[in-house]
Amino acid sequence: MTTETAEPVTRSPRAIAWSRRRTSTARFLRNFASYRTGMFGVGILVFFVLVALTAPLIFPVRLLNPNLNLDNESLCHPSWDFYYWLGCDDLGRSVMAELAWGARPSLIVGITASIIAMVIGTLVGIASGHFRGLFGGSMERLTDWFLVLPFVPLVIVLQAVLGQTSIWVTVLVLGITSWPGTARLVRAQTLSVEARPYIERAKVLGNSDWAQMTHHVLPNVMPLVIANTTLTVAIVVLSMTTLAFLGLFDDSIPTSAFEVGGISWGGMLDAADGSGAALLGAWWFLIPPGLCVIAVVLAFTLIGRTLEIVLNPRLGSD
Amino acid sequence: MAQINPSNIESLDLARKGEVQRRPSRVAGLSRFTGRRLLTGLGTLAFVLVVNFFIFQLLPGDPLARYKGAREISAEDLQKLREELDAPIWEQFFNYLKDPLQLDSFSTIQGKHVWDVIWAALPWTLCLLGTATIMATIIGIWIGIRAGWKRGSRFDRVSTGVTLFLYATPEFWLGLILILLFSTGVWIFPGIFPSSSAIDAGVSPGSLEGIISIAYHTILPAAALAAVYLADYSLIMRASMVDELGQDYLTTARAKGLMDRAIRRNHAVPNASLPTITLIFLNIGFVIGGAITVETVFSYPGLGLLTWDAIQNQDLPLLQALFLLFSVSVIVFNILADIAIAIVDPRIRV
Amino acid sequence: MSRTRRSLRWGAVAIAGMVAGLLPLVTINGAQAVEQDGENIFVVGELQKVDNLNPFKGITVAAYETWALTYNTLTGYSAEDFSPVPQLAESWEASDDNLTWTYHLVDNATFTDGEPLTADDVVYTFKRVIAGESIEKTNYGSYVRNIETVKATDDYTVVMTVKEPTPVMNNLQIPILPEHIWSEIDSNELPKYTNEPDSDPPGMVGSGPFKLVEVVQGQSYRFEANPDYWAGAPNIDGVEFKIYQNDNSLVTALENGEIDFADDLDAKLFATLEGNPDIAAESSVNPAFSYITMNGGAKLTDGSPIPGATGHPSLQDPVVREAIHYAIDKEALVERTLDGRGEPGDTFIPPIYEDQHLEIEDPITYDPDHANELLDQAGYTLGPDGVRTMPDGSDPLVYQLYDRSTSKTSQTTMELVQGWLKDIGIDSNLETVSENRLYGIAGDGTFDMYEWGWSDEPDPDYMTSVFTCGQMSYTSASGKVWAGLNDSFYCNKEYDEVYEAQATEMDPAKRNELVKQAQQMVYDANAYIIYEYYDYLQAYRSDRYTNFTRQPTGDGPLLFQYGIYSYLTIEPVTDGGSDSDSTNTALIIGGVAAAAVLVGVIVWLATRGRRSSESDVE
Repeated sequence: MTTETAEPVTRSPRAIAWSRRRTSTARFLRNFASYRTGMFGVGILVFFVLVALTAPLIFPVRLLNPNLNLDNESLCHPSWDFYYWLGCDDLGRSVMAELAWGARPSLIVGITASIIAMVIGTLVGIASGHFRGLFGGSMERLTDWFLVLPFVPLVIVLQAVLGQTSIWVTVLVLGITSWPGTARLVRAQTLSVEARPYIERAKVLGNSDWAQMTHHVLPNVMPLVIANTTLTVAIVVLSMTTLAFLGLFDDSIPTSAFEVGGISWGGMLDAADGSGAALLGAWWFLIPPGLCVIAVVLAFTLIGRTLEIVLNPRLGSD
Repeated sequence: MAQINPSNIESLDLARKGEVQRRPSRVAGLSRFTGRRLLTGLGTLAFVLVVNFFIFQLLPGDPLARYKGAREISAEDLQKLREELDAPIWEQFFNYLKDPLQLDSFSTIQGKHVWDVIWAALPWTLCLLGTATIMATIIGIWIGIRAGWKRGSRFDRVSTGVTLFLYATPEFWLGLILILLFSTGVWIFPGIFPSSSAIDAGVSPGSLEGIISIAYHTILPAAALAAVYLADYSLIMRASMVDELGQDYLTTARAKGLMDRAIRRNHAVPNASLPTITLIFLNIGFVIGGAITVETVFSYPGLGLLTWDAIQNQDLPLLQALFLLFSVSVIVFNILADIAIAIVDPRIRV
Repeated sequence: MSRTRRSLRWGAVAIAGMVAGLLPLVTINGAQAVEQDGENIFVVGELQKVDNLNPFKGITVAAYETWALTYNTLTGYSAEDFSPVPQLAESWEASDDNLTWTYHLVDNATFTDGEPLTADDVVYTFKRVIAGESIEKTNYGSYVRNIETVKATDDYTVVMTVKEPTPVMNNLQIPILPEHIWSEIDSNELPKYTNEPDSDPPGMVGSGPFKLVEVVQGQSYRFEANPDYWAGAPNIDGVEFKIYQNDNSLVTALENGEIDFADDLDAKLFATLEGNPDIAAESSVNPAFSYITMNGGAKLTDGSPIPGATGHPSLQDPVVREAIHYAIDKEALVERTLDGRGEPGDTFIPPIYEDQHLEIEDPITYDPDHANELLDQAGYTLGPDGVRTMPDGSDPLVYQLYDRSTSKTSQTTMELVQGWLKDIGIDSNLETVSENRLYGIAGDGTFDMYEWGWSDEPDPDYMTSVFTCGQMSYTSASGKVWAGLNDSFYCNKEYDEVYEAQATEMDPAKRNELVKQAQQMVYDANAYIIYEYYDYLQAYRSDRYTNFTRQPTGDGPLLFQYGIYSYLTIEPVTDGGSDSDSTNTALIIGGVAAAAVLVGVIVWLATRGRRSSESDVE
């Protein structure tokens, strides 16, 4: 990955390019690692990714099936039994198991929806920055218009309209609503990159629009896009939690390790609210899901902010 | 007088404020700028209307069934509706354009004009969002100023940590925790604040008692919303304070021997406030979103709860009108933000 | 520049002023909260919504309660034992052949708009229901089926003749509506009429003890006492119903004193109220049951299928319904949803009505293996994906299930049912919807199974009518399909005959036998899976109100009865509140301290968080 050290690299031999990339990647990693808050975020994220991956191994699916947990008391207290360190939910299921399985939809929706948003945002952003005239102008307008739509109501209405049959509906809804911020950023960046002399040179040399965009603009824009996408994940995870809390998220119970939908932190909070966990003093059902959401959102926020600083020297001077 | 400050403009950009125009005469420029801004606003409104139509076309299944599900409809209206819904989509769109503002729509759950229903709920949401915004702004800006002024201090580190934490918190969860702490009396504290509705039964909102009751009911939901948004404001305020402190004029001011506090109050704070204030206007879309869940948690009878109800009952005409209202308020606040900033900030030439 | 500064400063001053003003107000309010402010408004919190104030349209218990406060009926049910008692008809008698019934009305009843209530209003109301041009018969058709003529012989006497003798004539639960208002609403307008105080013509004008003055649909309904009520004004100044989103906020509201009465509480939360000295938590027997219905072939009253209905064909097979009945563990549902405060159900007349309730001899109990056997034998073969298909191999057994957003019990039940269905090879989608929407779905027949409940009237006629062919969905003149009461689409000519027979049987013992026969038929057909009878859990602020009247005497509910006895007998508690001010001040001080502690804790946690990280990232 190249950083802002832009110099004309149009026709360098592949090997040189690769070695340069290697060194710049190493420099980037060293630089990133020097920010402890960023590393803190990475730490949290790694933890949750591990939890999400190993959830089916540590917490078998039967723990999530309310029909197989009828012998457990509703909202049973935390106990020394590992599965029940955080007690039971209203249906007698292990809260620990639900928390672990709940990491899966959060991460999957958060990351895939953000990638969709990133792709749309980058395409629209570069196109509106690169092309003049009607096409570029209309792309810019489109971005502006989408920016104005109130995000949360839009997401809620879309999800309500499309139904909550599958986790992928949510991915789609959040993906196609979260891109305008990225598009605006990319557009601004594209304009500034294209103002540089070497792009002028490429133009004069008769490089196609496609070549200009992919060879020159995209590599320069990418770092910021990635930082921005990381921040988008945070917002997507929060929005998804809101949807699940409102009952607008797939709530089918997973039956195998390969199913990712169903149990979600927002859905747990919905159930906790509905079953009166607060009044019954069942803090173990009300507080941990919220803290998990905060941890994941915080992780992406910290990583995103650090990336912004590392990749953008101007902000780094702050 | 302050010089043009690129970093500040950049901050505005972060706050989704893009259009910095450059024109010679200020007054003429301002009115031209306003006019142009209103025009683009109209364009956006047209877009919103189109979106508002097509979103609801996505609903799978027989469209008539959606209206049948709710029962507040007479036979004649049903017949009319059936004819309308059987028409090709472009014709439906044309019909929709005859009444894009839904002036003629009836809420299917309540059997009243959608705007009457919305009108009844509107004051509560204004009260809630107003209180929350004021709380968030004051506390957020105050924290931002202190943290930015003494960057790296203990206060800065603590407040940045807390605000980042709040920034990552779902509003409704905070609402639930506030209820747990201050309403239920289950834990350490007795239940002192009401957990639901906006006013006590049988109290007239106009009376002194009514106002007290409203304030009492608004505190917890407003606090839940405010806590989350103050994080946003204080982070931006802090960033622009830090930007501002790097400016030459402040060095000059210090050199002139001005007291720290005076510099802060007279120079740094006003300049650094602009992006934050813009953000307050621009955030309205997000605040409305937060109001949906928070009002649901607190059974607060505003537009958020109405939205929730409309979703639960698939009251599409009401939902359509609500979405329109939310979009229009965001557009209006965007325009206001742009114009206000153009008037207030001499560094932005219009 | 200077302009900016000045406006900022003024803004800050104004904002500070507002906040400073707000704080003491909060404190004052805290002190006032306990003091009564002259008016005694009895506030009732409930979860169920008043689905419609129009007495021809609403079906929820919450809606019936609002009409009971507003309107009178000819006869009532006694508070002691549900026996028929006078209401508007201070007396009535039947001719020797039981074919002519004469009702003598009270002569001092007036509507809340000042018009007197006379025999003409009664005749008008009954004739309108009998004509049934629009939706009038859905709620009241079962009372008038046998009535041939209705006429007023003088201002305060109504004479009705019936085709056959019927005991229903002692229990005519039709709200008497003012003719001068309702005659303005023709049958086309009727389904649309919302019957609110600001409707045109004005709604909720009745002769009852309370008058609806303010409505926020779906949220609150405020009634004022009618000081001129013909049977004597109530002891309280008004009643307000407030609708809550979930059990949690309902219980909190009661504990905080925002409401005086909480209805139909969740068992677990109810238990938390039992130790509270200011609150009386009362468990009552309940003339009600919870059921799961199965779409046995959605039809209109004329026997033709409903256009657009989507019921799964397998559910029309009685074997499949029986198998599903075997697959559901009612004991587990009672334990999980009621915390044991109830018992497994079987028939549609609950045990509280001992004379009419049928004890099933060999009830179906949880036996998934037997369920699977039944399905195997009937040819529903299990596919490799664990889902059965129709015997002809066409459709897989995938059902659309619904539960109700206002009921946690409903959601928990259906979630478990979904698992049990899976155990017998039936896949399903479950959606949570509002009761309003579910009613529409029921009428349209666009479901396979859903959960709901019925509250049984003391007279078995209404509940028995639910399973008749005539109560299936029907089409109005315009072609719009309306829901009847029959949401299982069980339609059996023999059953209809039994129903007719009980409706015209004047001998109570024989009638009870017929009603039991009806219950057996519905049970054997598995039209409903009646899974539990639940205790009615209610609670009220005993520090504020006293003198509730139970119906029936002993262990009956306090409110939401067949009558409005408690609303008329309750009285505010007058003394004993002297030390509440100081308690309240203590609460406020506690609250402020609590807030400080909270902030402290957050700051502390945050500093810790920061120490483990770093500070140079902004």
